[in-house]
Amino acid sequence: MTTTGTPATDTPVFAVHGLWKVFGPKAGRVPGDPRLADLDPAALRARTGCTAAVRDVSFDVRKGEVFVVMGLSGSGKSTLVRCLTRLIEPTAGTIAIDGEDVRAMDRARLRTLRRHRAAMVFQHFGLLPHRTVLDNVAYGLEIQGMGRGERREKAAEVVAKVGLEGMEQRRPAQLSGGQRQRVGLARALAVDPEVLLFDEPFSALDPLIRRDMQEEVIRLHREEGRTMVFITHDLQEALKLGDRIALMRDGRVVQLGTPEEIVGSPADDYVRAFVRDVPREQVLTVRTAMRPPLSSEEAATGPGVSPDATVSEAIEAVSRAGTSARVLDRGKCVGVVDAGALLDVVAGASATTADARADRAVPAPRREPAPPTATTSEEPV
Amino acid sequence: MAILTAPAGKASPRGVRTSPAVRKLAALTLVAAVLVPLAAARWASGTWPEALTVDVSGPLGGASDWIIDNRDSHPLFLHFLGHVSNAVVLSVRAVYLALLAVGWAGVTGVAALIAWRAAGVRLALGTALAFLACGLLGMWVPTMQTLALMVVAVAASVLVGVLLGLAAGLSDRMDRVLRPVLDTMQVLPAFAYLLPVVLVFGIGVPAAVLATVVYAAPPMARLTALGLRGADKEVLEAVESLGTTARQRLLTARIPLARKELLLGLNQTIMMALSMAVIASVIGAGGLGDRVYQALASVDVGAALAAGIPIVLLAVVLDRVTGAAGARLGQAPVPHARALWAGALAAAAAVAVAGRLTDRLEWPDGWVVGIAEPVNRAVDWMTDHLYSGVPVVGGTADWAGRFTTWVLDPLRDGLQWLPWWSVLLAVAALAWVIGTWRTALTAVSAMAAIGVLGVWNASLDTLSQVLAAVAVTLVIGFATGVAAARSDRVERLLRPVLDVFQTMPQFVYLIPVVALFGVGRAPAVAAAIVYALPAVVRITAQGLRQVDPAALEAARSLGATSGQQLRQVQLPLARRALLLAVNQGVVLVLAVVIIGGLVGGGALGYDVVLGLAQGDLATGLVAGAAIVCLGLTLDRVTQPTGRRTRKGA
Amino acid sequence: MRFRTMPAVAAGSAFALLTLTGCGAADMTRQASPFANAQGARTVTLSVQSWVGAQANVAVAQYLLEHELGYRVDTVQVDEVPAWDALSQGRVDAILEDWGHPEQEQRYVEEKKTITPGGDLGVTGHIGWYVPTYFAEQHPDVTDWKNLNKYADRFRTPESGGKGQLMDGSPSYVTNDKALVKNLKLDYRVVFAGSEAAQITQIKQFAKEKKPFLTYWYTPQWLFEQVPMTEVKLPAYEEGCDADPAEVACAYPVTPLQKYLNADFARNGGEAAELLRNFRWTTEDQNEVSLLIADRKLSPRQAAEKWVDSHASVWKEWLP
Repeated sequence: MTTTGTPATDTPVFAVHGLWKVFGPKAGRVPGDPRLADLDPAALRARTGCTAAVRDVSFDVRKGEVFVVMGLSGSGKSTLVRCLTRLIEPTAGTIAIDGEDVRAMDRARLRTLRRHRAAMVFQHFGLLPHRTVLDNVAYGLEIQGMGRGERREKAAEVVAKVGLEGMEQRRPAQLSGGQRQRVGLARALAVDPEVLLFDEPFSALDPLIRRDMQEEVIRLHREEGRTMVFITHDLQEALKLGDRIALMRDGRVVQLGTPEEIVGSPADDYVRAFVRDVPREQVLTVRTAMRPPLSSEEAATGPGVSPDATVSEAIEAVSRAGTSARVLDRGKCVGVVDAGALLDVVAGASATTADARADRAVPAPRREPAPPTATTSEEPV
Repeated sequence: MAILTAPAGKASPRGVRTSPAVRKLAALTLVAAVLVPLAAARWASGTWPEALTVDVSGPLGGASDWIIDNRDSHPLFLHFLGHVSNAVVLSVRAVYLALLAVGWAGVTGVAALIAWRAAGVRLALGTALAFLACGLLGMWVPTMQTLALMVVAVAASVLVGVLLGLAAGLSDRMDRVLRPVLDTMQVLPAFAYLLPVVLVFGIGVPAAVLATVVYAAPPMARLTALGLRGADKEVLEAVESLGTTARQRLLTARIPLARKELLLGLNQTIMMALSMAVIASVIGAGGLGDRVYQALASVDVGAALAAGIPIVLLAVVLDRVTGAAGARLGQAPVPHARALWAGALAAAAAVAVAGRLTDRLEWPDGWVVGIAEPVNRAVDWMTDHLYSGVPVVGGTADWAGRFTTWVLDPLRDGLQWLPWWSVLLAVAALAWVIGTWRTALTAVSAMAAIGVLGVWNASLDTLSQVLAAVAVTLVIGFATGVAAARSDRVERLLRPVLDVFQTMPQFVYLIPVVALFGVGRAPAVAAAIVYALPAVVRITAQGLRQVDPAALEAARSLGATSGQQLRQVQLPLARRALLLAVNQGVVLVLAVVIIGGLVGGGALGYDVVLGLAQGDLATGLVAGAAIVCLGLTLDRVTQPTGRRTRKGA
Repeated sequence: MRFRTMPAVAAGSAFALLTLTGCGAADMTRQASPFANAQGARTVTLSVQSWVGAQANVAVAQYLLEHELGYRVDTVQVDEVPAWDALSQGRVDAILEDWGHPEQEQRYVEEKKTITPGGDLGVTGHIGWYVPTYFAEQHPDVTDWKNLNKYADRFRTPESGGKGQLMDGSPSYVTNDKALVKNLKLDYRVVFAGSEAAQITQIKQFAKEKKPFLTYWYTPQWLFEQVPMTEVKLPAYEEGCDADPAEVACAYPVTPLQKYLNADFARNGGEAAELLRNFRWTTEDQNEVSLLIADRKLSPRQAAEKWVDSHASVWKEWLP
């Protein structure tokens, strides 16, 4: 279930293999017993009284990427992210962080992991109501035993970074929802973790504030390149933030791939139904729609678009120029998109996508070349 | 349309609601049909059969004698209980001497400053006035004695309560063990706690302090556990995700998160400690309670009032200050808090030193206002003019006499006339219909235990007083509660009255009723009614006001009159609150009916007083045990099922 | 893991308790009241019983101790029997008026030797059953117990149900009344007023309406001045007839009231102990103070002051 291009050099930040979490009496027997493991949730509950929240999940989280786990409520995504730092003890499977076995860690080692390597942001913020903003942000450092002055200084920097200057002495109750989540984010950032884990961090927020916060995360990721694992039930959010998305249903990962892959070639009917209403032209890139140039003239004229530009941008370029557009990668023409192919993408004809995928060599980080329009493109232009 | 659907809508839920009750009653009838003829044939007597009683007074008397003989020699006393007692005496003494050393000006100043920092200027002023009033009434030294006793008792209660609460809050097993015990302790009358401690420690301050601790620690423990368990799960998870140790989690998150409950616990503990410290004057607590007790013994209403007013003032001040401190939590911290505290402390110290230097440590005799005499004159006038023979309405003593003759006597005689098994059956039926078979079993066992202890008749006497008082309380309480729920003006008028009444220690209620009704069962019942009313009114009003506004709006939109709204929407929806009001009413009434033994209430309360007074601890302990059983029975019989359901772990 | 702190805390507090109290044995019977001897004053703690006569004793003793000898006096209200226990433990230094408690005397004076007799108070006490004189004058035969049943329905009250009411006062007083009613086969029920004061209120109320009543009462008592009462003759008292409390069928004895002192206090109490030992006055003296307290509503201190001012010759002899 891995995608085509695994970077050869880096060990993944998180490597999860065959992970199970089963709640209920004698949960341990379920993963090992194929007769039980293959039951659907209702049958399993009827047979054993157990609920399998996470079933045989495997994936890698690569350094510097935003890995999104998406699913509806009850799909096991929140349980999954808690298993990563053993806030919930997994039932079976392996988890490694930088190659180190998380499940084998003793308490002290596990604490070190939680203190320094992975910090989490929660849906309902999880702030300590009796502490000021500054002390909430400094809490993780305090836990590590850092002195008062030092940790406050450091916390003040992070508070500024998330845009909460001047609110250091307020209490959480005096903040708006978005501000509270900024505090939650700052608290996680303050300990300078290797990975940030987000558990549906923005679903309790208003839509407008949610978008601000998403921008904030994108900005932070662009500035610091920190690895992030992001849990959400919001497909738009997943597509917007995720370098790769794992789509979960009933505890299983039903598809894992780039946003483009998920939207462009859904693995099954469930995923298809899920992505049906996504404006494909805003997710799929021109790679999906391009064809080799028919002639050298075609390869030399017409507006140029980046291979990572979305179809909707290409449509704009094509319609403005009135001709087909060239796809230029580092100045070299790698293909051509015309109005017909672009319309096919919008219409949902996916015949070309398989070929297009084969053409892809490296899944380029989407974020850096993305033009500003890409992030606000959810609004009808 | 509405007319057509209304009866159907009304009938179906009621059918659903009564059917389990009917089933339970049918099952009970079946059991009764087998057991009753057997029991009645074997032990045919109206009252509890002699053959089923166990005389425990012999062994208890022996134990009491043994303790008295060995108190100064047995290692258990020398090496354990003696230390406990000694520690209590030393700490009470230390606090007392400190209070005296600070002087009246110092104590007033420090108290006012604490109130200021914790609760604001208005309460600070009130606190200062309250303390000055204690001095003006000539009660400075007794107030300090009570305060010293309270400080030690509250400190110990909080320590014990927090430890127990931590245990129950952190361990599910401890919670399962402790919760029923604490719940039960909560409903027992204060009087029941006196005798066991007297048995071990003898009469005196150590016994009084320990009884107070036993009485006042449970709310602290319950609320601590509640606070720890009720903490926001996600906050705890967040804290854990940052890599906290268990200790860090407890100290930096769980306890601070529970601080609202902790403060509420402190508030309740203080109030209960005050209530008990006053009642414990019966076992030698000294202080204000002792003055009331002495005054009651000589029906000196004026003197009782002079000591009672400081108690009420102390209660109101302590309640408001701790309550306000709780309400202030989570608000923005005042800038320079520490500097203000330091300033306040310095000012207090200055006042104390000034008091010392001017040699004004003791409250000046010249500043004492004797209220006893005018009050007694007023009471005498009342006794002369209102007591009896008032035209048309009759005097208060006539009312009391009529209440005794027409209500209390028939009720008591009726209860005592009932065959014993029918009483048990009634208890079982009530408890089962309202609660579960478990509560029914507890209730029946407790009631049977009363019979086994051999105080069946006395207990039924007490029960008759409780029933009469509860009936009156509920009639007045529900009516007032409904009025308060329906009119904001009534509620505004009532609130301060209820606030004050709810904070007053039980003991204080005995003073006015003796003045009005003389002695006997009627005044005991009257005191119980007055004591229980505020809680019943408040719970009723709150229950009615919390009824889903949408349901009310729907009823109003269908054109229901306000009477219909009340009958058909508010009362049914507030059913749980009303049941709780009944439960609270019963528990509170019982507590005061027992204390009524001091003013001629007779029955179980009298047995406890007698046991204490005659040094006949066996009689007292048996009565105390019967009170515990009666309290259990009454609580379980009125306890709605839901109260004990808890969320799954 | 998370509970490991609990035993530690428990052990810690136990340790603190031990260090606070000092290791070794602690005899709780020798711990004085924490309120005693405050601010270095020499303090005497006196037990006050609830009846006014006893309050009179204590008021005068307190006044003299404070004004003549410079002591500070604490008073504690304890009922009679527990007062013996408190006296033995040293929580109280003296009882000034005891109506005879042979069992306690045996235990504390004879066996444990923690209490020593303090001599006669000078007042002779007697308990009996009384009817108001206005009623006795109308029905002279009521003063014999044999005729009591004849008048039972005249003495009926709401509290006594269908029987006549024999009113008792405080539960703490020495009383055989329940046994007497049973053993003499009287158609009466003993109703406890709960306290002596309550009983007095009732008596006064009855007297105001000139109603008949039968009450447990005792001399010396100031109330006789206001409500004249006549004693009902019970079967004569003989030595030992009240030995078994359940079988008593005779009148109460005539008791010379006694004082008792804590043994330590008697040895080391200095002038205070001596004054209390010498304290001895007459029934009239006591009644005079009692009446001031109970009827004129003077505070015990004012009453004592008044008596002390006018009876110097009596109390001068008590001073050490």
